Amino acid sequence: MSSSPYRLLDVGAAQLAVASEIESFHAHLDLVYPHHEAGADGVFADVRVRLLPGSRFRLRGRQVALWADGLRPFEPYPYDCALPLFEWGSNYLLSRRLNAYLLLHAGVVARGDRALILPAAPGSGKTTLTCALHLAGWRFLSDEFGVIDMDSGELLPMVRPAPLKNRSIDVIGMRPGAMLGPLFPKTRKGDVSHFVPDRDSFLARHRRATPALVVFPRFQAGAALQCTPVHRAQAAMRIGLNSFNYQALGPLGFQAAVALARRTAAFELVYGDLDDAIAHIETLFGDVS
Amino acid sequence: MSSNGQSDIALLMRGLREPLSIDEARWERLLRIARASGLHARLAAANLDKATTTDVVRRHLLSSARIAAYRAQMVRAELFHLTPLVTDDFPVIVLKGGAYILQGRALAEGRFVSDVDLLVPNAHLRAMESRLRAAGWQPEKLDPYDERYYRDWSHETPPMRFPGHSLEVDLHHAITPVTGSLAFDPASLFARSEPIPGTPFRALCAEDQVLHACLHCFHDGELDLRVREVVDIDGLLRTFAARGGFWDRLLARAAELGLQRPLWYGLHFARNWLDCPVPSAVPDALPAPHTLSRAAMDALVPLAMLPPDPDFPPSLHVRVARTLMRTRYHLLRMPLQLLVPHLARKTLRRLKARLDRRAEAPTEDGAP
Repeated sequence: MSSSPYRLLDVGAAQLAVASEIESFHAHLDLVYPHHEAGADGVFADVRVRLLPGSRFRLRGRQVALWADGLRPFEPYPYDCALPLFEWGSNYLLSRRLNAYLLLHAGVVARGDRALILPAAPGSGKTTLTCALHLAGWRFLSDEFGVIDMDSGELLPMVRPAPLKNRSIDVIGMRPGAMLGPLFPKTRKGDVSHFVPDRDSFLARHRRATPALVVFPRFQAGAALQCTPVHRAQAAMRIGLNSFNYQALGPLGFQAAVALARRTAAFELVYGDLDDAIAHIETLFGDVS
Repeated sequence: MSSNGQSDIALLMRGLREPLSIDEARWERLLRIARASGLHARLAAANLDKATTTDVVRRHLLSSARIAAYRAQMVRAELFHLTPLVTDDFPVIVLKGGAYILQGRALAEGRFVSDVDLLVPNAHLRAMESRLRAAGWQPEKLDPYDERYYRDWSHETPPMRFPGHSLEVDLHHAITPVTGSLAFDPASLFARSEPIPGTPFRALCAEDQVLHACLHCFHDGELDLRVREVVDIDGLLRTFAARGGFWDRLLARAAELGLQRPLWYGLHFARNWLDCPVPSAVPDALPAPHTLSRAAMDALVPLAMLPPDPDFPPSLHVRVARTLMRTRYHLLRMPLQLLVPHLARKTLRRLKARLDRRAEAPTEDGAP
């Protein structure tokens, strides 16, 4: 049985530990976590997983499985998709374990320590917009988790590579400064390539930010930009809807969602052009500053 | 015994009862084996406010405790919704987790409940089922074979769910499979049941709750990672131990229902693993299993039930033990002439499902 050592990844709000004997997986990790230095084990990891290769002789192609705590929570992936499996799987595990926080399903970027939260359902272009804003000079906090400390209302960064899918890969890849990991064609979610947040965002991964603005983004091909203010009560409910654990947190989740809606203005933004959206968000953010 | 370190398991068992003072690395390992066996919120119940834990450990304990509290709230909500369906023409007993919650038992804290189990007299099973349907609960869609399996060979109806609710309701008419060797007439369960104050529901009497927990643990399903069932037995015994005459009543009731064997194993593992304070005269008064069965159970039960090394997939030992215990369960559940065709059918269907899945495009839910 293999016992390759754990590799630790400090992504800000969480510590991940992963072990695998698959060399290509480590090469991929190096590409999408380029700023991480090898840390010594012995640290408390929020998620500790092992990626084990399946049989070499499987007729329909070799696979890789993710094992956590002696269990295999997901179906195996094709062997060369260990990185997407690790990213997706560890995020799933985190989403179930971080109930000390209100966990929004949201992209988060910041100017200094003032945060813009982009809560959205899958498929609304949240990851793409988050990456584009980051390339336009915003600090990257997360493309997936809005981690809210319910005591202070502050946001904790979770600086991980952002999985761009299908057309977004070119849309973001062609922007100046964009750094993307390897392309994984035809995964279960289509083509996937991971966007790598910059070094400054990585270094600031323990610096919390204060919510300053909430924008519910929705990309619609060919649509003219349309921005509508969202009333506080509406915003609170929509924040709850776009959360992993709002329901499970009961009254605490409700209070945290209401507190967030009270302290920040909220808008809905439908857009067909990424640059228009960025320009408009800059204006909105300027207004609340 | 287990492929996991003895000290990990001992620490887990101790941590279920008292606050631990251990470092972060040990906490991480403990949380991992606790998670694998569904005991992490029990660990939280004993440690969250008491131990000298660091922030990160506290966050994980808090996280588990919150999910358990939410799930308990969902159980209460489901039972609340069921309340109008319970009238005084026949008794409705809440089994296991649901009862522990309504009765405010200490063991309910941090205990995950996955469904609501109700027991009604067989003569009223159809009536209760139609009440549920009329009120909006819908049975899970089953093919005719599974439907027949539930009706004829099992001791419950197919699970029902109210659209949008997170929990299923299982309606039972007995607490043993009707085809199993331990089957008995459940009438006395109702006769001895107790009202749950403030609700129209009833609960099994203390002794029957213990016997049901033992039966459920060793005779009703796979044993994989189900150490929490022994933790339940321990919790119930600790709750009732101080009641005058409890142990005598327990022994008498086990003899009456023919449940001495499951009780023997329940007491045995609760004492071995959790230092359950059972007076030694109690197991001595029970007919002990044959030395060979006992040796087999002592070798296999820990391997199957206790969480294995969290750093690796389960070892060959563990997998073999789990398979053997599963075989035992099936043999106890129905005679061979029923079992062989049943398992053959299940296996064929699983193979077919696997082939069908291959033909279709793989799908996966997008969340998160």
